[in-house]
Amino acid sequence: MTNHVPASLQGAAPTTPYRRAHPVRRFLAQHAPALGLTLPFLILFALFTIWPVLRSLYLSFTDYDAISTPTLVGTGNYRALLSDPRFVKALTNTAAYMVGTSLLSTALGLLLALVFGGQRLSDQIMRACFFLPSVAGGVGLISVFKWLFSSEDFGLINTLRQWLSLDPVRFLGAPAYAVPILIALGVWGLMGYNMILFVAGLRSIPGDIYEAAAIDGANPRQRFWKITLPLLRPTLLFVLVTSMIGAFQEFFSFYFLFSDTSNVGGILDSGLSLVVYLYDLGFRHLQMGMASALAWILFLMLFALTLLNLKLGRINDID
Amino acid sequence: MVGERQHPLLSTLLRLPFYLLAVSVMIPYYWMATNAFKTIPEIVRNPPTWWVHTFTLDNFFNPDAVPGAPKNSAEFLGVFQIFANSGFGQFYLNSVVITLITVVGSLLLASLVAYVLVKRPFPGSGALFALLLGSMMIPWEVTIIPNFLTVRDLGWINSYQALILPGLAKAFAVFFFRQAILGIPDDLVDAARIDGAGELRIWWSVVLPLLRPALAAIAIPVMLGEWNNYLWPLLVVNDDAHQTLPLALGKLAGNLTYDPRGAGPMMAASFLVSLPMVTVFLLFQRQFVQGLSSGATKG
Repeated sequence: MTNHVPASLQGAAPTTPYRRAHPVRRFLAQHAPALGLTLPFLILFALFTIWPVLRSLYLSFTDYDAISTPTLVGTGNYRALLSDPRFVKALTNTAAYMVGTSLLSTALGLLLALVFGGQRLSDQIMRACFFLPSVAGGVGLISVFKWLFSSEDFGLINTLRQWLSLDPVRFLGAPAYAVPILIALGVWGLMGYNMILFVAGLRSIPGDIYEAAAIDGANPRQRFWKITLPLLRPTLLFVLVTSMIGAFQEFFSFYFLFSDTSNVGGILDSGLSLVVYLYDLGFRHLQMGMASALAWILFLMLFALTLLNLKLGRINDID
Repeated sequence: MVGERQHPLLSTLLRLPFYLLAVSVMIPYYWMATNAFKTIPEIVRNPPTWWVHTFTLDNFFNPDAVPGAPKNSAEFLGVFQIFANSGFGQFYLNSVVITLITVVGSLLLASLVAYVLVKRPFPGSGALFALLLGSMMIPWEVTIIPNFLTVRDLGWINSYQALILPGLAKAFAVFFFRQAILGIPDDLVDAARIDGAGELRIWWSVVLPLLRPALAAIAIPVMLGEWNNYLWPLLVVNDDAHQTLPLALGKLAGNLTYDPRGAGPMMAASFLVSLPMVTVFLLFQRQFVQGLSSGATKG
């Protein structure tokens, strides 16, 4: 029977005439059209992602003012940063901001998802209200906040304080208020986004688990702690870690609320974040080597956060 | 829905604090939208007014104001008059054009790469994908200094390509599209190939239409990121012709520190900057929610 099958279809690949072609030419003939399609992306990717990573790593071990040739200084930049009080201040501010923003926005996001996770029109409207800052927040609204927190008597927050017979406060001029105000802004912008993620997570929990638990006599409180929360753990972890990573890299609100043309960080550097300090070092003082070292320290910290996430995720799988 | 069934104990009374929270979340928007149309004396009045007493468009364009007049003159410039030479309209156009090109360009480039990686793999495509995946770990802070130097050395300071090109190759978009293209049957692509369609044609006519939900999901974060981008334009642009809206807002907010009466035009500018995003959100609310949560629920 097999004798009737033409020789070319017998699966004997080495007998095909293409075998003799030069490997490079054969590779090109086979893949050039497809490779050509990836070229625009790959050129940009190489130029603006791969090359800068290598260059940044090199620069972090040099002294470079953006004009003269970089001179190698070994680990000098890293050691200088770790003993630099401004860096330590920026790190403490950023860490406090990260912890406050991620915990509050995660907790509030979960609460809001539980309260307004339904399909009723009122729930949908409430979700839209909370979600709006994630879409139309940022740049457009930050100057409005600057106005709301104004220490002058037209500042809305201070007007509300007057109603409660409290003394007006110079919110943006008092170091103690800097990080709390930034956390408030961060939570304002993030909790609705986290709420949406939790709503999606809650909806992926099968309803019959709750029915079975209800039949077994579990009360709502027990159902929340024994079913919802354990099954929501992957979402919870994802939300918490992405919130932390985002908060750790916050630049905009710190810069906008606490910087002016002559100074970044506000009074006593109370509004200095790591990325604002990076900007200050690299682009205002032209210490590009030092700024690159700061970027790599930041990267290592974010990397540690991600590893922690993976590790926690694995513990979660074993459960 | 789910919360409802689990928690009948959350009565309206227990919901009350959350309604109050919603009101306080919306206050900045209300404050912006009303103050943009108040006269400047009304904006700085104590106590603040809760609604617009005297409606005015002077914060946008004040026909009585003289550009270049001393700061203490009675009339204040509207936001369209403050940036005299190229003006706020030019910044608006810049922001819209840069955002549109970045969204469309990055989506097309990334979907091309994803298509080739999945349907036309070549020796080394696995390694390339691993490289793309690994690069997603790198925060933008690491690349921003060398990228500034590259743009400067290319002579691109104050140009549109400096604002657009460095952010165009987005690895996370390739990753996302790859997941979506894995779901497209090989038969569909092979059938088009047998019919004589080239790679470009298959990508455009077969793959892209099927990718529509994924394209929408990626377009949203890219659009938001670009519209709000502040630091990169601040670094690579210092002339008026290439300014974007965030930079203009930054300048207005800076002026505010010195003269609180600058709040009128600033509120008007904030209003104009937020308006497109609020409108797009209200029109495409479903896509926003699906797009932003689709990345999370898979993990």
